[in-house]
Amino acid sequence: MATDAVRAQVAAKWQYAFSRLNRGEPGISGLMTFSQAWRLATEFLRPRVLTDRSGSHIEYNADDFRKALHLINRCHKLPALLETFLDDLRKAFKLVEREVEQHMAEYERTSGPTIINQFIMRVLEWYKAWAPPADLGNTCLSTYTLNFQTNLFSILPSSFPPAFKALCASTLPSPDPDAKLDDIISSESFWSAAEMLGLMDRYDSLVASVGYEHIEGHVLSTCAGQWEKPVLGDLKNWMADKMIPWMLVTYARNAQTTEEVRHLLQGVGSRFEFHMNKTLCDLRTREIFDIIIDFPDSMGALQDLKECLQRVDQRSALVQSLRKANRKRLLHPGADTKLILTQYVATIKCLRIVDPPGVLLFKIADPIRRYLRERPDTIRCIVANLVGDDNTGDSLVDENEPIQPLQQPDVDDYTDPNWEPEPIDAGPEFRTNKPSDIISTLVSIYHSKDLFVKELQVLLAQRLLAVLENDIEKVDKERKNIEILKIRFGEAALQVCEVMLRDMSDSKRIDTHAQMQKPSVVHPTIISRQFWPALKTGDLVMPGQFQKLQEEYASEFHKFKPDKKLRWLPQLGTVHLELELQDRTVDVTVPPLEAAFIELFSQQTVWSMDELIEVVGSIDRSAALKALITWVDLGVLKEDVEDTFRLLEVAEDPSAESRERRMAPVTPDVAPVMGAQQQQAEKIKVYWKFVEGMLTNLGALPVDRIQSMLRIVPGYDQTVEQLTMFLEAARREGLLTVRDGMWKLNR
Amino acid sequence: MEQITSPLVHPVASQKSNVSAQEQPSTGSVTKRLGNELMTLMMSSSPGISAFPKNDGNLFEWIGTIEGAPGTVYAGLTFKISISFPFNYPYKPPVIKFETPCYHPNVDIGNGAICLDILQDKWSAVYSVQTILLSLQSLLGEPNNGSPLNTEAAGIWEKPDEFKGQVMKHYRAVE
Repeated sequence: MATDAVRAQVAAKWQYAFSRLNRGEPGISGLMTFSQAWRLATEFLRPRVLTDRSGSHIEYNADDFRKALHLINRCHKLPALLETFLDDLRKAFKLVEREVEQHMAEYERTSGPTIINQFIMRVLEWYKAWAPPADLGNTCLSTYTLNFQTNLFSILPSSFPPAFKALCASTLPSPDPDAKLDDIISSESFWSAAEMLGLMDRYDSLVASVGYEHIEGHVLSTCAGQWEKPVLGDLKNWMADKMIPWMLVTYARNAQTTEEVRHLLQGVGSRFEFHMNKTLCDLRTREIFDIIIDFPDSMGALQDLKECLQRVDQRSALVQSLRKANRKRLLHPGADTKLILTQYVATIKCLRIVDPPGVLLFKIADPIRRYLRERPDTIRCIVANLVGDDNTGDSLVDENEPIQPLQQPDVDDYTDPNWEPEPIDAGPEFRTNKPSDIISTLVSIYHSKDLFVKELQVLLAQRLLAVLENDIEKVDKERKNIEILKIRFGEAALQVCEVMLRDMSDSKRIDTHAQMQKPSVVHPTIISRQFWPALKTGDLVMPGQFQKLQEEYASEFHKFKPDKKLRWLPQLGTVHLELELQDRTVDVTVPPLEAAFIELFSQQTVWSMDELIEVVGSIDRSAALKALITWVDLGVLKEDVEDTFRLLEVAEDPSAESRERRMAPVTPDVAPVMGAQQQQAEKIKVYWKFVEGMLTNLGALPVDRIQSMLRIVPGYDQTVEQLTMFLEAARREGLLTVRDGMWKLNR
Repeated sequence: MEQITSPLVHPVASQKSNVSAQEQPSTGSVTKRLGNELMTLMMSSSPGISAFPKNDGNLFEWIGTIEGAPGTVYAGLTFKISISFPFNYPYKPPVIKFETPCYHPNVDIGNGAICLDILQDKWSAVYSVQTILLSLQSLLGEPNNGSPLNTEAAGIWEKPDEFKGQVMKHYRAVE
């Protein structure tokens, strides 16, 4: 049961509410006018079906509405009115929903963006029709807008965003350069509609992605594989001509002044420009390996890349990409050393353009250099290129590059006013090799230039020994080469080469003198053993007349140079022979072994290969066989039984004649000079001798002790690991045994 | 090499007053000569003789190995010797002793001392470790019975069987 007090309270409340609505009017007339006004206002505001073309607001007088509004306001009932209105709006949204469904269904059938455009326009009509009049104030309008949008977004199906995106994309300028800008202008109404409906805010990232994708598509389609000319400028123009107008319509429709436009476009504009740079940068990063291959026809791409990298921080991505490409396409056993070197040089040149301080180069070159160091023929390849011993013709070194001494990586000169610190992404082991030339860089693959000088000697020896008599021109060419190389490697390093060249001219002089004393058909090249690389000595003994010729010449030489001793290397050189057979003469120039064999056939007509080998000294069978086959090919010998050869005094089959003509003049083999690689093997042999001596005298030793003892050997540079491997190898060959870590000679 | 020279400077310096300038090469050049001799010895493959420094820090103390030449009573036996180079090598000969007991007319069976002219008054700077080792190897087969250190051995040299018995009695194989 309600007490009196409660009853009194309820009565007071009732009275208060009533008096507020009745506003002190007599009776309930105030209440009556209020309810009239309320009805009018709610009816006025109620959302209606659009098809009602008579216009929803016309039947009510705007003045009446305003008065009613005023009355409601006086009764403090405006919030309630607004609430009622929004409630009505929610209920009425079914109408919109139906249309949404219709349009989306239509779109899904045709997938034409125009339907979406129509749809948006239609929704805008709804929005405008239902909007409360301005009398209700801005708060009311914005609340309405918010509610309308919320309702709209809640009913938009998931297929709408892609459709909207497609529509946005359709407003973009077509890639056709002749297309007019009208399309963009005409889309202005669409953009305003989208903005009013809040679609711009909601799908901001979608709109931006349309821009990004368009830029990306344009960059990829116009720039991929186009490396000759820089494209960045064209791209910027394209942005200004095509993208900016679109951006103006999209983002800065309502701007009044240029200042305002600038403000509105600042953010999105720089994002788009960044994206353009990034897309180009990514593209070039993917293409970098081929760009380097194409160098110098890809200058444009490199300049673009340089510029892009300054805008976009993709340096590490570039390094990764190029390293990966190199690993996959370059640094594998299938690639020719020459090719790797060429690509390396191109890489150096390219990356100097992209990144002058050389940090990128350092990071990318490292794996290449390490790989090259492991290749056995790298030095040979570089040296061959240095002396122009290339059949391919294209030199690693730019001929216009001035010849300069090899440069050592120099220490930073901090007193230099132009000194700059290392770039921030430089690693701790980064060395600036600023303007060093290509050759210095190649030579620096190895820790010392000695290896190069050695290989150079070997190469020079081979070439000089291959020079045929009287070919002054070739010797002069070598001399010129050496002069150039002296500038690079320094006078001292090439002293040996100098001696070798002098030996050549001295030989000539000595020979002239010897010939004057006693004419001989022998024209030796006399070399100073100390200065020439180790030549493979064979045990070839020239038989018959050759032996005699050699001896005669040697005695003449001894008269001329009593303090010198002539040691023949009979397996080198060539012999010009004229064979007089019964029915024909054969005139050929052959290597000495061939000559030695055919000389023997003048003593007896049938020889077995073993006999031949025995007479000329121990040579290996394959060499012997090769020499004999030469004569068989010339139709001079015939292999009757296996390994037994007979001289054909009379040509046997008619085709021999033709075969003879077919035979190219026999060229001597490349002089068997030991390469640097073999010299390395010689060094290992020295180490073995020491290990052997040590273990003979000191008994079993642990590897550490062997290592420390080996330091006695001059030039010993192996690590314990290398030594262990070496010892293991010796163990496998049965030379050593190991027990409890103690190495012992196996006896 | 630096490690070697430093402790050796002192003795040379102390001898300065009584050693003539010619006979006093710096230890550096001695080391160099010994290094060269080692290299030559290692690279020449003389059968049955070998020598090597005891420690990597000291080139002045070597151990040598001599195998008895075939056809002599020492055939098949291996003898260790110690070689100790003076600081004024090669102006003075190295001191050489048999470490393996060697029953031989010119070798002291007790302390291993050797009586060989080129190691004493006939020494010349042109000799090397290799020539010494070769001389020792031939000395084994052809003793100089004129100036024996081991008179008993010199006495029975003409009786090979008895001599061989004595050799084997004293010989202890190198481990």
